[in-house]
Amino acid sequence: MGRLGVVAAGVEARRQLADPGLALAFVGGAAALGLFVLYPTVRVLLYPTVHDYLTIPQSVRWIQAARNSLVSTVLSTSTAVLVGLAFAFAITRPDVPGRRFFRTVALLPLFAPPFMVAFSYILLFGRQGLVTRHLLGLDVNIFGLHGLWLAQTVAFFPLAMLVIAGVLESVSPSLEHAARNLGADEWQVARTVTLALARPGIAGAALVVAISVLADFGNAVVIAGGWPLLATEAWFRLEGMADLRGASLVVAMLVVPTTGLFLVERYWVGRRRYTTITGRGGRLERPPTYPPLKWAAFSVCVLTSVLVVLIYLGVVAGAFTAVWGRDWSITLDHWRLASDRVTSLWASLRVAAGAGLVTAVAGILLAFLTSRPVPLRRALDFLAVLPGALPGVFVGVGFVLAFNRPPLELVGTPWVLVLALAFWHLPLGYQAAVAQLQQIDRSIEEAASNLGARGLHLLRDVYLPLLARAFVEGFTVSFVRAVTNVSIAVFLVSPGNVVATFAILNMIGNGIWGGAAALTTMLLLVTFAALAAARLAAGRALRPVPAG
Amino acid sequence: MRRGWVVLLLGLVMSAAPAGAQARRIVVYSALPDLETSLINREFTRRTGIAVEALSVAAAGTLAARIRAERERPRADIFVGGSVDFHAPLAREGLLLPYRSPVAREARVSPAFLDRDGYWHGWYLGILSIIVNTERWDREMAPRRVPKPATWDDLLRPEFRGQFIMPSPVTTGAGYIFVAGQIFRLGEDRAWAYLRELNRNVAQYTPTAPGTITLLERGEAVVAMMWAHEAIGARRLRFQPLEVIVPPDTAFEIGAVSIIRGGPNPEGARAYVDFLMTRTPQDINARYGFRYPVRADVEPPAGAPPFESVKFVRYDREWAIANAERVRERWTREIGR
Repeated sequence: MGRLGVVAAGVEARRQLADPGLALAFVGGAAALGLFVLYPTVRVLLYPTVHDYLTIPQSVRWIQAARNSLVSTVLSTSTAVLVGLAFAFAITRPDVPGRRFFRTVALLPLFAPPFMVAFSYILLFGRQGLVTRHLLGLDVNIFGLHGLWLAQTVAFFPLAMLVIAGVLESVSPSLEHAARNLGADEWQVARTVTLALARPGIAGAALVVAISVLADFGNAVVIAGGWPLLATEAWFRLEGMADLRGASLVVAMLVVPTTGLFLVERYWVGRRRYTTITGRGGRLERPPTYPPLKWAAFSVCVLTSVLVVLIYLGVVAGAFTAVWGRDWSITLDHWRLASDRVTSLWASLRVAAGAGLVTAVAGILLAFLTSRPVPLRRALDFLAVLPGALPGVFVGVGFVLAFNRPPLELVGTPWVLVLALAFWHLPLGYQAAVAQLQQIDRSIEEAASNLGARGLHLLRDVYLPLLARAFVEGFTVSFVRAVTNVSIAVFLVSPGNVVATFAILNMIGNGIWGGAAALTTMLLLVTFAALAAARLAAGRALRPVPAG
Repeated sequence: MRRGWVVLLLGLVMSAAPAGAQARRIVVYSALPDLETSLINREFTRRTGIAVEALSVAAAGTLAARIRAERERPRADIFVGGSVDFHAPLAREGLLLPYRSPVAREARVSPAFLDRDGYWHGWYLGILSIIVNTERWDREMAPRRVPKPATWDDLLRPEFRGQFIMPSPVTTGAGYIFVAGQIFRLGEDRAWAYLRELNRNVAQYTPTAPGTITLLERGEAVVAMMWAHEAIGARRLRFQPLEVIVPPDTAFEIGAVSIIRGGPNPEGARAYVDFLMTRTPQDINARYGFRYPVRADVEPPAGAPPFESVKFVRYDREWAIANAERVRERWTREIGR
């Protein structure tokens, strides 16, 4: 019976690939993953020798870093997902006050280059912090685990929110009505319908956040103080010691827990099917939200929003203040300095737009492929999530090692940065698409299939309209993360193609804080403008989709 | 139809590939700040007619790693800035091209600042110093009549507990040169005893060297160990309340320039090295970066003590570079931070 099942699956897989469109998509998807995810990864992992790997257990610092990474991942992921859930819940309920405001605020941390979150908090909450010292008269040391926990929670809850909200939005109100009609109380409705259906979203969010936290060094490098972590350790190896071998070793240690996370998520979510009937467009009003839940979510959102807004106040204030902490007079000098580097803004936008497109398209294509019984399904799925586990430095070095020689000599062109960023952020686009796909009822596909739609036609006619949301989300997240990226840019930027974050980091490195703050403010403005334009265009694409 | 697409895509990729290197152009990886880099390069282009494409990154380690990663097809001709501690290992791995600049010989630059085998040319110097945030000092230390630290041993005072920061010896050149300097000052065993005792006062070993100056400027600590030129620059250009104290038995870095083997334009690279050994770039670097020139006929940086007046420890650079891995390993074992 089992044997027969395997044979049947094989036949089914072959039948799927008999469709030329699907076969082409499969070959393209597999080739892209192999070339831009697997190959650079293998290049880096094979860089150290076996002997180098054997020295890992002897290194006190690395063992300590591994332990610290574990602790911070557990703490930051839990809080980021909880806060993300609260936000996702609040913005998908029409009766939560200020939901539009919360949605906007929750997207803000994504625009801040990672070092800015931590830097702003040092300005505000450090020993000489504006809030802690000058307003409250406290002597606080923000460096260490608690500072990192705060910064990472604020930096990464938007990722959780995006993934969870995508799912919550598509939970049909009719189900809640039905549960209530069947006699469930408010708490039961929330627990057994809304949250239960959000579970794939929560699990997906936890996965994305956990691997982002594990690989995060932007915050860690500024605020973790003397607390070694795996991701920063890899970077320090390069930054301070130019030790490519040591860095690849540390990064190899990172890949192990990430693989574990991946398997746990698959097991937990994979146990149950979650299908609702979105595609049929239940246009019922959402029932009123259970008040205790509503106000709990509301207060979490308010508190977090304050923390988010403060990041921006810190940066903007820094851009206009003559000398922070000394001379509080207002000046425009920093803006003159920043405007010398204005070409880097356009470079950032070009690169990020390219990366966003590639991420969104590849994410949807791969999510579609892995949702059907194609060969190597699990391998494709794993490769699509793997990049999230890799620190940016790793990806940067990997792309240099892989594409600095024929046949694909991309280093030195803007393409290499676009591709590296696109595939580094692939898990975000992919997870968003997968979460959406799990919400699409098979019956819709079957109906289309019965009407004669096959292979890629299924993707185009049935899935694409339903996946427009996933596309916009994949593009948005990848775009903003590409705009704010530093870790990869440091390696792949070439003279003549300098992106804004790279210029900002250089200014910070040279102590030109005011200029850095001004250029960051410019970058934020330009990015917001570009995104607003993209949203406007996407709004047209989104309108025909039943919002559920 | 489909093949048409593939051809079109390939064409796009090819057209984006870099055109062959132009003879009148060099690519420079610079660990010096933007300002010094662009002033120096502009002057170089004016004199030689060779255009410069510079990539300026505040971290020498990142650039060195980049050069390693690009070993199969080097993109840059010149690696400039950063201590020889970053250049020497590249030379050992065969990534640099030896050269002996006639300009250095004519200027009688001390052989101590030049690599014996010609792999790197030292063209500026930086000295390690004790730096005090005077604003916090006047508020917190002065009323308690704590004397300002004047020697490395003064840093052990219990008043500085949790108020002292320095760059990490594991991840930065400055931190490592400090530790090696202590080994040359005290001998290995006593040096480790000193470092363990100092560790009690350390609030943080910053992972990057500029991080120390930033935190000190922000008042996160009162006393720091750091390059004197960074603090002088912070004081004179950004009006930060920092005081530089150069203790006896301090160590210095040799800031280097080297030619990358296999770079697109070795001829232009040699011209660049020759140029850096002349007066103008060393003067720019002293004026805007507050780093000491290696040429005797260039004015030393304003606000810095004369190089000859500083009492240096007998620093064995070759030993320090050769033993870097062992010392850092011992550091992580004994200090563990």
